[in-house]
Amino acid sequence: MLEQLLIFTRGGLILWTCKEIGNALKGSPIDTLIRSCLLEERSGAVSFNYDAPGAAYTLKWTFHNDLGLVFVAVYQRILHLLYVDDLLSMVKQSFSEIYDPKRMSYDDFDETFRQLRIEAEARAEELRKTKQVGKPVSSVKKQGQVSKAGLEGGNKRVSEGGSKKDDGDGNKAKVSTLTNGHSNGNHQMEDDSQETDLANGKENTSCNVAVDLSKLQKLRSKGVRGRGGVRKTDSIGNKSSKVAAAEPAKKATKKNRVWDDAAPKQSKLDFTDSVDDNGNNDHVDIVAADQGESMMDKEEVFSSDSESEDDDEPGSDEKPAEAKKKGWFSSVFQSITGKANLEKTDLGPALKALKERLMTKNVAEEIAEKLCESVEASLEGKKLSSFTRISSTVQAAMEDALVRILTPRRSIDILRDVHAAKEQRKPYVVVFVGVNGVGKSTNLAKVAYWLQQHKVSVMMAACDTFRSGAVEQLRTHARRLQIPIFEKGYEKDPAVVAKEAIQEATRNGSDVVLVDTAGRMQDNEPLMRALSKLINLNQPDLVLFVGEALVGNDAVDQLSKFNQKLSDLSTSGNPRLIDGILLTKFDTIDDKVGAALSMVYISGSPVMFVGCGQSYTDLKKLNVKAIVKTLLK
Amino acid sequence: MDNLEDLKIVAEQWSKQGLEFVQKIPPPQLYTAIGVLLLATIWLLSIRLFRRTKSNTVLLSGLSGSGKTVLFYQLRDGSSHQGAVTSMEPNEGTFVLHNENNTKKGKVKPVHLIDVPGHSRLISKLEEYLPRAAAVVFVVDALEFLPNIRAASEYLYDILTNASVIKNKTPVLLCCNKTDKVTAHTKEFIRKQMEKEIDKLRVSRSAISTADIANDFTLGIEGEVFSFSHCHNKVTVAEASGLTGETDQVQEFIREHVKP
Repeated sequence: MLEQLLIFTRGGLILWTCKEIGNALKGSPIDTLIRSCLLEERSGAVSFNYDAPGAAYTLKWTFHNDLGLVFVAVYQRILHLLYVDDLLSMVKQSFSEIYDPKRMSYDDFDETFRQLRIEAEARAEELRKTKQVGKPVSSVKKQGQVSKAGLEGGNKRVSEGGSKKDDGDGNKAKVSTLTNGHSNGNHQMEDDSQETDLANGKENTSCNVAVDLSKLQKLRSKGVRGRGGVRKTDSIGNKSSKVAAAEPAKKATKKNRVWDDAAPKQSKLDFTDSVDDNGNNDHVDIVAADQGESMMDKEEVFSSDSESEDDDEPGSDEKPAEAKKKGWFSSVFQSITGKANLEKTDLGPALKALKERLMTKNVAEEIAEKLCESVEASLEGKKLSSFTRISSTVQAAMEDALVRILTPRRSIDILRDVHAAKEQRKPYVVVFVGVNGVGKSTNLAKVAYWLQQHKVSVMMAACDTFRSGAVEQLRTHARRLQIPIFEKGYEKDPAVVAKEAIQEATRNGSDVVLVDTAGRMQDNEPLMRALSKLINLNQPDLVLFVGEALVGNDAVDQLSKFNQKLSDLSTSGNPRLIDGILLTKFDTIDDKVGAALSMVYISGSPVMFVGCGQSYTDLKKLNVKAIVKTLLK
Repeated sequence: MDNLEDLKIVAEQWSKQGLEFVQKIPPPQLYTAIGVLLLATIWLLSIRLFRRTKSNTVLLSGLSGSGKTVLFYQLRDGSSHQGAVTSMEPNEGTFVLHNENNTKKGKVKPVHLIDVPGHSRLISKLEEYLPRAAAVVFVVDALEFLPNIRAASEYLYDILTNASVIKNKTPVLLCCNKTDKVTAHTKEFIRKQMEKEIDKLRVSRSAISTADIANDFTLGIEGEVFSFSHCHNKVTVAEASGLTGETDQVQEFIREHVKP
């Protein structure tokens, strides 16, 4: 049963809600939908899941771009209603007939809606019945069939990972319906003949997974973020199997591999200078506090608008030449008069060209695809104003969308946060995480330099206890910048080192603690576990993901896996995820700035710093307008 | 290709005909016609220049969820209809404020009211509208004030240090909304808290002052605790309730700054 169906304008005024279904929605699903989906340019997704204490809803929506209306249907997640899409499009059609910008209340629509709903439900029933006749199923209640068809219909979740995750989610959905007391049949989408066997199999797995489900409910009730929650369900299942596998492995300790008959070298190669020979360090040049202003404080000068106009010309000449002569004439004619409505077929080629362009700028393929879908959803049905071409409308919409994505959702004023922490007499802890070789240690030094320039006292913590030379590297930076460093050498537990560093900082009154960690691949389970332990134990104020601008499609994988692992392996109810991104090696890419977009889109966190060189002053802020201009050039 | 050729030929013919026609007109008439046209354009331009003295645009801004859209519809229609959700686009309208429709006699100048979405992703829309604003109403949620105080003070700080606001000395009204609820804070409390937060912001923002060319203005007086009376533009505080329709103070403010 539908929980609610709303019609509202893009400006926010609710025009009509279904009064028959009087249920008040728990939590605020509509506002969350707008904030985390529609405004985040994910309007191309099929549905949105919302979890509130005491309710789990799925929301589906459709736009009427010409009139600026949004139609949203809310229903319980466990019911896979088929007729929602159908109903939404019918409602859209009939409402747009009676819509009048001056009118604010549409009570007469109640009757129309009731009829439409009955119609849609009837149609769904018929569909169900025809499917039921086709497949012989033993003792399956009607509910089961609804869910089965619903799953086939594809209630695709907003997923960021590969298809494996989707299957996992599908499984979870099925299992959750099982535990909710519906005696559904098995819902294997592949093989119908093995239904009865699989039924038994499912029952068994449901018993095994029952424990995890209760954990799932608990986690859900703590109001986990929609995306995180979905991912959690998948990995909880995986974790149970993995834990079983990990137990026996832990018993055997690792031994060094011996390749030939010679006895292995026993001595470790540890060249750490002992910490207490400070006398030797006079010869190291101490960087005067004035290497110049950090580029964070300089304003950006970016090219004027004349460039973009020049680029429009060659682009526009290409398009008519490609199309047939007749096509060119009609498009010119239409651009003067203004076409009736934009259809998907019209937007198709323009969006495809735009997607190609984005991909040549090093935007991950998946992200470009999702963005194009979202722009398509927002333009479909819109009236093309006169004297504009389709390509320019699409370009304008895409530019708007890109600016929206790259604008930070919350304030990224680190100095303000530092001052706030200072008032509470706590040090502000920043942890730098990332894969190998992206520039964490170098950029940590740059951030320290910048903070120092703003009269903030900094302390470094060398928690990269794995890579040879990491501690020395940080020590050199600390010496040059004249800031204290907390180190414990190599082969120590980074989480404990960090904890002690923070205690030391509280003791000697440092304002900020910058924690350097070892680089790790996102697939490396034990290392990710160690990182999660560090973050859980120390609860830093800012988790900064360091990513290089040279990365391509891997950015999506890196960020999503990092976030997923951090949320899965977190012990508390509120998992700490990545709070900000530090984009490095920005000077090496000329105009292939797409990595910034991919990272921001996939993680939702803003780019706080951009590293654009290898000296201390090469740190700046992200200039949103310049990036958008470069991406669309 | 035929179409094009045909078109070209037709166009050439027309242009020839047009030229012949023009040449047929005796010179004096031609000159007077041109003269009249020039005079008309100059007159229109001068009217536009002179009329630019006072705009009638009032902006409704504030954080997401503070009640701007409800207030907008209250001012326009006298009722908030069926409620509102997070706005994705601005709501604009030029109208006479609802209450004045009934009471005032004579010519009342309509107000161009713009409700700008407060969501942080849409902050660029505010920058578009600020230069044209005659007055700004900053709506604050008096109920959920303390959890959002940082974001609200940053937003207000950005407005107060915006280049156009400073140049035009745009008056700002700090409107405390949702005062119909029992646990809403008083306007005095809100004012004091905002002043304190902006004072803190001054310190941290002035550190990055050279970066932002638009906001290179330091608010208030150096060395003294910030107070709204230090601003060059007038900043006042008022209370309102969007849901119940108590918008008198807001309407007075709007009337004051959009002269009828």
